[in-house]
Amino acid sequence: MPLPAFQLHRPRELAEAVALWAERGAAGKLLAGGTDLIPSLKQGLFAPDHLIDLGAIAGMTGISRAANGDWLIGAMTRIHELAEDPTLGREFPLLAAAAAQIASPVLRRMGTLGGNLCLDTRCLWYNQSYLWRQSCGFCLKKDGSVCHVAPGGRRCWAAFSADTAPALLALDAGVELAGPAGARWLPLADLYSGAGDHPLRLGRGEILSRVRLPAAAAGMRGSYQKFRIRNSIDYPLAALALALRREATGGVTARLALTALNPAPVLVAGLERCLAAALAADPPDLTAAVQLVNRAAKPLSTSTVPSDYRRDMVQLQARRALEACLA
Amino acid sequence: MASRPQLEAARAVIGAPTAMVDAPRKTSGAGAYTDDLAVPGMLHGKILHSHLPHARIRGVDAGAALALPGVRCVITGADAPTAYGVLPIGKDECALQPDKARYIGDNIACVVAESERIAAAALPLIRVEYEPLPAYFDPEAAMAAPAAGWLHDHRPNNIEKEYHHVFGDPDAAMARAAAVCRNRYVCPAVTHAAMEPHATLARFEPDGGLTVWSSTQVPYYLHKTLARVLQMSMERIRVIKPMVGGGFGGKSEVCPLEIVAAVAARRAGAPVKITYSREEVFYAHRGRPLQITVLETGAAADGKILAVRARVIQDGGAYCGYGPVTLLYSGALLGAMYDIPNVRWDGYRVLTNKPACGAMRGHGTVNTRFAFEAQLDELAERLGLDPAELRRRNFLRPPCRTVNGLRVLSYGLPECLEKVVAASSWRERRTAAAVGAPPAANDGRGPQRAEPASDPARRHGWGVACSHYVSGAANAVDRADAIHSTVYVEAAAPPPAPAGAASGGGAESDAAPPAVTVLTGTAEIGQGSDTMQAQIVAEALGLPLAAVAVIAADSAITPMDLGSYSSRVTFMAGNAALRAAQDLMRQIAAALARRWNCEAEGIRCLGGQVLGPSGQALSFGAAVAAALPPGAERLRGVGTYSPPKEAQGGDFKGAGVGPSPAYSYSAQVAEVSVDEVSGQVTVHKIWAAHDCGRALNPVAVEGQVIGSVWMGLGQALSEEMAYTRGGQLANPGLLDYRVPTILDSPPIEAFIVESLDPEGPFGAKEAGEGSLAAVIPAIANAIYDAAGIRLYEPPFTPDRVLRALKARAAAPAPGQAASAEQDQPEAKPGPAGGSPRPSHPAGAPPQAGK
Amino acid sequence: MTTAFTVNGQPRRLELDPATLLLEVLREHLRLTGTKCGCDDSSCGACTVLVNGQPALACTLLAAVCDGARITTIEGIAADGRLTALQRAFGRMGGAQCGFCTPGMVMAAKALLDDNPDPSDGEIQAALSGNICRCTGYVQILASVRAALAEAAGAAAAGAAQPDAAAAGGRRGFGPAPPRQATKPPAAHG
Ligand SMILES: Cc1cc2nc3c(=O)[nH]c(=O)nc-3n(C[C@H](O)[C@H](O)[C@H](O)COP(=O)(O)OP(=O)(O)OC[C@H]3O[C@@H](n4cnc5c(N)ncnc54)[C@H](O)[C@@H]3O)c2cc1C
Ligand code: SF4
Ligand code: FES
Ligand code: FES
Repeated sequence: MPLPAFQLHRPRELAEAVALWAERGAAGKLLAGGTDLIPSLKQGLFAPDHLIDLGAIAGMTGISRAANGDWLIGAMTRIHELAEDPTLGREFPLLAAAAAQIASPVLRRMGTLGGNLCLDTRCLWYNQSYLWRQSCGFCLKKDGSVCHVAPGGRRCWAAFSADTAPALLALDAGVELAGPAGARWLPLADLYSGAGDHPLRLGRGEILSRVRLPAAAAGMRGSYQKFRIRNSIDYPLAALALALRREATGGVTARLALTALNPAPVLVAGLERCLAAALAADPPDLTAAVQLVNRAAKPLSTSTVPSDYRRDMVQLQARRALEACLA
Repeated sequence: MASRPQLEAARAVIGAPTAMVDAPRKTSGAGAYTDDLAVPGMLHGKILHSHLPHARIRGVDAGAALALPGVRCVITGADAPTAYGVLPIGKDECALQPDKARYIGDNIACVVAESERIAAAALPLIRVEYEPLPAYFDPEAAMAAPAAGWLHDHRPNNIEKEYHHVFGDPDAAMARAAAVCRNRYVCPAVTHAAMEPHATLARFEPDGGLTVWSSTQVPYYLHKTLARVLQMSMERIRVIKPMVGGGFGGKSEVCPLEIVAAVAARRAGAPVKITYSREEVFYAHRGRPLQITVLETGAAADGKILAVRARVIQDGGAYCGYGPVTLLYSGALLGAMYDIPNVRWDGYRVLTNKPACGAMRGHGTVNTRFAFEAQLDELAERLGLDPAELRRRNFLRPPCRTVNGLRVLSYGLPECLEKVVAASSWRERRTAAAVGAPPAANDGRGPQRAEPASDPARRHGWGVACSHYVSGAANAVDRADAIHSTVYVEAAAPPPAPAGAASGGGAESDAAPPAVTVLTGTAEIGQGSDTMQAQIVAEALGLPLAAVAVIAADSAITPMDLGSYSSRVTFMAGNAALRAAQDLMRQIAAALARRWNCEAEGIRCLGGQVLGPSGQALSFGAAVAAALPPGAERLRGVGTYSPPKEAQGGDFKGAGVGPSPAYSYSAQVAEVSVDEVSGQVTVHKIWAAHDCGRALNPVAVEGQVIGSVWMGLGQALSEEMAYTRGGQLANPGLLDYRVPTILDSPPIEAFIVESLDPEGPFGAKEAGEGSLAAVIPAIANAIYDAAGIRLYEPPFTPDRVLRALKARAAAPAPGQAASAEQDQPEAKPGPAGGSPRPSHPAGAPPQAGK
Repeated sequence: MTTAFTVNGQPRRLELDPATLLLEVLREHLRLTGTKCGCDDSSCGACTVLVNGQPALACTLLAAVCDGARITTIEGIAADGRLTALQRAFGRMGGAQCGFCTPGMVMAAKALLDDNPDPSDGEIQAALSGNICRCTGYVQILASVRAALAEAAGAAAAGAAQPDAAAAGGRRGFGPAPPRQATKPPAAHG
C-alpha cells in the first residue's frame, strides 16, 4: 500500500527538529525507527503533511553515564542495543529482558527507545485499514464518535503496548523532553495521560530526547513477564515488569509496572507496603500483593484474546515475578 | 564403455535426494513471480470492496474518481456481468458484484490508474449507494433467516447444499456397541496465508488475443473461466503461470482479480496489473470453513468400531465456490481410513455474510478427522485400550473397498503407526509418565522459550492420531473431462557436439544443453511438480536430471492439466510424464530395432545411452537423431492420464467426491506439555510417518510432510479467523492471524513409508496434504494425556486451555458428568456477544457412554 | 527529494517523492524484484534487506532515510555469479519450497552469519524469528543454515577463503541511518 503524500524533513540538530516540530506539530508527525508509524500511515491512521525524521540528528543515540552516576540513553538508541549491550544487561537486566522480547530481531534493529516509549495505543477496532474501520462506522479514537470496546462511554481504552515502558517505570526512570523553551526532565509516569486517544502528555514542540536510569536502580533484581500468543513478532497482550532489591536493613525496595492492559503503562502504587506485610508471614503470603496488581489492571476487549484471560495472566505474572525476585 | 551392471547402478534419479530444478531461481532472487512482472504501458488496478456485510447496490458513481489525474477508467459489475464459479452447479459469483454485496470485502468496482498510488487515492472517491440488508454471520442463525436475509434468491434458508448418506445400518450397529462417545466439535475457519499475495497481469495483444499471467494453481480452470466471462474462445486467450509463492488451495479457484484485470485491460486499452494487499488476500479467502461436527462413534468391547454417525455444518461464507465438494469430503473420507461397516453422515453447507470458503490443504477432511481421532482417544480410554492399539484393531485389509465404495489398493497405515510408536517410545513414555518420571524432552526452541525441565506446573503428555488423503480426485469438477493430464516429452537431435562436452553436473550447470524437454500444463507452486516430472522422465529415459528441461503452465505451448489441487499432480501428471517418456522411448526403440535388427523390447535407455540386447550402444542424442523421421526436427512422446473407472466410486448422490486412484496415510505422535497455571501448551516434538507410496524425492517428500504437519500445528495452536459481531474479520493480517514463527515450531521428524502403489508412477502417491489433519487430534490427545482435559475447539490457545482446566476443577468427578449433549447441534457456533471470536465452553466434560 | 545510496555496490542517485518506501525503490524503480512483499505491514520479513550490513524491513523504511547507506539485496550477495554457500544450501536442503520467503530468510540468515560465524540452533532460530515461512515448517530452513555453516567450516578447514567473509566488513554501521563510525559512544561505560 503506498503511503499518503507528505513532506519529509531531516534535521541534523535536535534544536532544529524542535523548531520544526513546534511549527508543524499540528499537521506533522515525528519519525524515529518508523516501525509503529509507517504501518499506521499505510492504514490511514494519520495523514501528516510533514514528517520530521529524527534519524539524522547527531547525538541522539547511545548509552552513557552522567556525572552523578546515573545512566543516560539517547531516545534514538535502537531496541536491539538495549537488549544486547553487556553493561546495561548486567546493571539493568530487567530492561534488557523487556527489550529482548520486543517484536522480532529485525524490528528491534529498526525500532528505537523513544519510539517505543511514545508508541501509539493499540486496539482491534483501530489498528485496521480505512475500509475496515469504515465497516464499523469508525470509533472515537479516529474519525468516529463511539467506542466499540466500551460502547456507552466517551473514553478510549486502547491499550498502551510497549515493553520498555513498564521496565523503565519499575527502574524509576526519568525522561528528558527537549522543547522550544529548553529541556525539562520528568518522571516517566508523567509522560502518559491515561487517555487511549491521546496517550502522551507532550507539550508543543517537545521531543523525547533522553532517558535517565538512576544509579540507585542499578543492580536491582528484575523479572519481565510477557504474555503473547507467539514467541516472536507479537505485541504483548499482558505484561509486567518488577524491579526489586532486598535492602541490608531487611526491607525491600520494589516497583512493579504493567503494560498492554491499560491505556497507559501503570506503576502499581503501594506495593512496598504490601510486600512488607507479605514477607512477615512464613512462607511469604503474596495474595494481597497479587490482588493489588490485579486491581491496577484494566484489560478490555481491545484484542481478539479475551480480556478475562489477560486478567488471569496478570495475576499469574505478578506471582511469578515476585517469586522469582524474592527467591 | 561402462558395463551394464555399472550403468544399472548409476541409475538413481528416482529416490535420490534432489534439489528442486528451479531452486537457483528462488535462492538468487532472479525468478519472477507475477507481481515481479512489468510490461510497457502497464497500468495498476485497485479494487473497491464493500464495507457492508449485506447490501443491495443501488448505484455506483465514479465521477470524482475518474476526474483524478492519472485515473484511466473505473469498471463495475456491469462490465463483467457473467456469473462464474468453479462448480457447474455453483456459478453464483461475478468478478465485481452487479447488484448485491454479500460480505465485508466483497468486490464492487476497480480503479485503473497510472500508478498504484493514484489508484489507491481514487478508491475513496467512488460513491456507492447501498441499501443495507439483514446480515448473518452464524450458520445456524443463517438457516433460520427470513427471505430478506437469504444471500442468494435461489438458495432458500441459506442452505447451499445438503447431503444425507447412510451406509450399512448405523442405528442398529450403534445399539449393539459396548461404548459410545458423542461430542460436539467446533473448528473455526482458517486460511491459507500463502506468502505470495495473489497477483495478475493482463494484456490484450495487437491481434485481439488476451495474455494473462497469474498466481494460480489452476491455469486450466482460469483459462476456461476467462473465456466464459470475457466471452472469448479459449484459443484467443493465453494463460501463463509464473512462479507462485504458495497456494495451499487459496489459488485453486479463479479469484476475482484475475477476471477484473482482464476486463480492465480491455476497457483501458492497456495492460493492467492487480496485486492484492494482504488484507484483500484474507477477504479472497476460500480457506477451511468453520465446521460444527456432532459426532458419535460406537465400538465393541474389543475395540472394533461398529458405527459412526456424524452431522456436519460448514459455514461456507457468501458464495458457493468449491462448497459442496468441501462438504462431501468431510463425509467421504470419514469412514474410509479404518474398516467401519456402518456410517451415517448428514452434511449442510450454509451461506453466511462472510468471505467464501473453499479448498484448503486437506480439503474438507481436516476438521472431521480432528473430531474422529480425538473421539477415538476417548473411546480407547472408555474401553481400557491403548489408543494406538485401538487403531490397529480397525485397519482396513486391502485390496478392498470401503463402505462408501472407495477402492483401496495400497495401505501403509499400519507401518506408519508402527514407525511413530517406535520412534517416540510411545509405550515406554506413557508408562513412565504414568508413574511420574519426567521423561527427557527434546526442546528445540530458541532461548526465550526454554522452560525449566523440572517445572512442576508443566506436565508432559503424548497423543497419537492418524489421517489420510486422496492422490487426486478421480472425478474432475465438471465430470466431462475425460483426460486429467497430458504431458509431452520432446527430444531434438543434438547439435554437432564440441569435443569433450559431457552431460551431467548440478542444476546450476548449463554446460550441456538438455537432451529432452518436458512440456506440461501442471502448476508448480512450490510443491515441486516441475522437479517431479523431470525426475520421472530422466529415470525413464536413463538420463541425468540436468538433461531434462521443463516448460510448464503456458497454455500457448503446454498441454492440458487440470491443475494443482487435491494432491493430484504426482499421481496423474507423474503417470502422464512417465507414459510420455515411454512413448518417446518406443519411437526410438522402433527405429533402432530396425537398424540393429533386434526386438524393440530388448532396447533400453541407461546412463545417457541407448543400448541394444547384444552390446549395441548409441548416445541418447545419436539415438534420437537416428529415430527422427526424414525432415522432422524433433521427436515427441505423448502421455495422458485418466483415472481408471474402478477408482471413480459409487453412483449415489455425492459419490463423485472422495474417490481417488490411491490414498496416502499418515500416523503421528505429539509430545506436549501443559502449563496448568497459565494454560499454555508447548509442543515439544512431533513424529510423523507418511505413506507416500514411493518417495520419488525424499527431500521434497519430507518437506511436504513436515510442511503439512506444521500447517496443522498452526490450526491446532494459534490460527483462526476471528469475526466481530458485525461480521468484520478481526484479524485480516499476518500480525493477528498468527501463523507460527520458527520459535513456535517444534522439531518435526518425518518418516517415509513406501507402500508402492500398483498404479502410481514408480509406486508414488500423494505427500503434500495427508499429514495435515492428524497433528490436530494428536496434540489434543496429548493435552488430555498431560492435563486431563478434552478440548473440542481448536486452536488450543492458552485462554481456551485455561477455561477447560477451570471447568475440570469445577466439574463433578468423572462418571457423574451430566449428559448435557444435545441431540442436534444447537449451541451457538459463531461469535456471540462482545467477544470477537467464537466462545464455547472448550472443556465440556466427556459425555457418559452407555 | 534527492536520495543517494549504494545498492549491491552500485551507487544510485534518485529523485524520489519523500513518501517512497525502500521496497518501492528496489522493486519498481530499480526492478530488483528479488526482495518480496508478503504483508506490507512489517510482520512477515519477506522484504528483509541489509542496510549497512544490518537486517531491515524494506516495506517499513522510507527510502529517503537510507540516504548515504549501503543497501544489499538478495541479488547482490552472489560473488562472481556463483551463489553463496547459504543460497546453495537453501536449494539443496529443501529450505526453499515456493521460494517466496527465501530472499528475506537468506538475508536474515546472512546477517546472522556475518555477525556470528558459529551460531547455535537457538541463535539461528532467534535470528530468523521475524521471518514467516508458510511452506517448510522451518525444519529444512534450519537444516539449510546448518549445511551452509558446515560447508563454510569445511572450506575453512581446507584452507580456502570463507565465501561470505568479504561482505562482513563495516557491518556495524547502524540500521537505516547513514554509516557512522561506531554505534556506541566510546568510553560510555568504563
Ligand atoms: C509486527 C510488529 C510487532 C511489534 N511488537 C512489539 C512488541 O512486542 N513490543 C513493543 O514494545 N513494540 C512492538 N512493536 C512496536 C515497535 O516496533 C516498537 O515499539 C518500536 O520500539 C517503536 O520504535 P520506532 O522508533 O520504530 O517508533 P516510530 O514508529 O518511529 O514512532 C512511534 C511513535 O512515537 C513517536 N515518536 C518516536 N520517537 C519520538 C520521540 N523521540 N519523541 C516524541 N515522539 C516520538 C512517533 O511520532 C510515533 O507516533 C511492534 C511493531 C510491529 C510492526
Ligand atoms: S478503545 Fe474504543 S475508542 Fe479506543 S480505539 Fe478501541 S474502539 Fe476506538
Ligand atoms: S513485507 Fe515487509 S515485513 Fe512483510
Ligand atoms: S518457502 Fe514458501 S513461504 Fe517459505
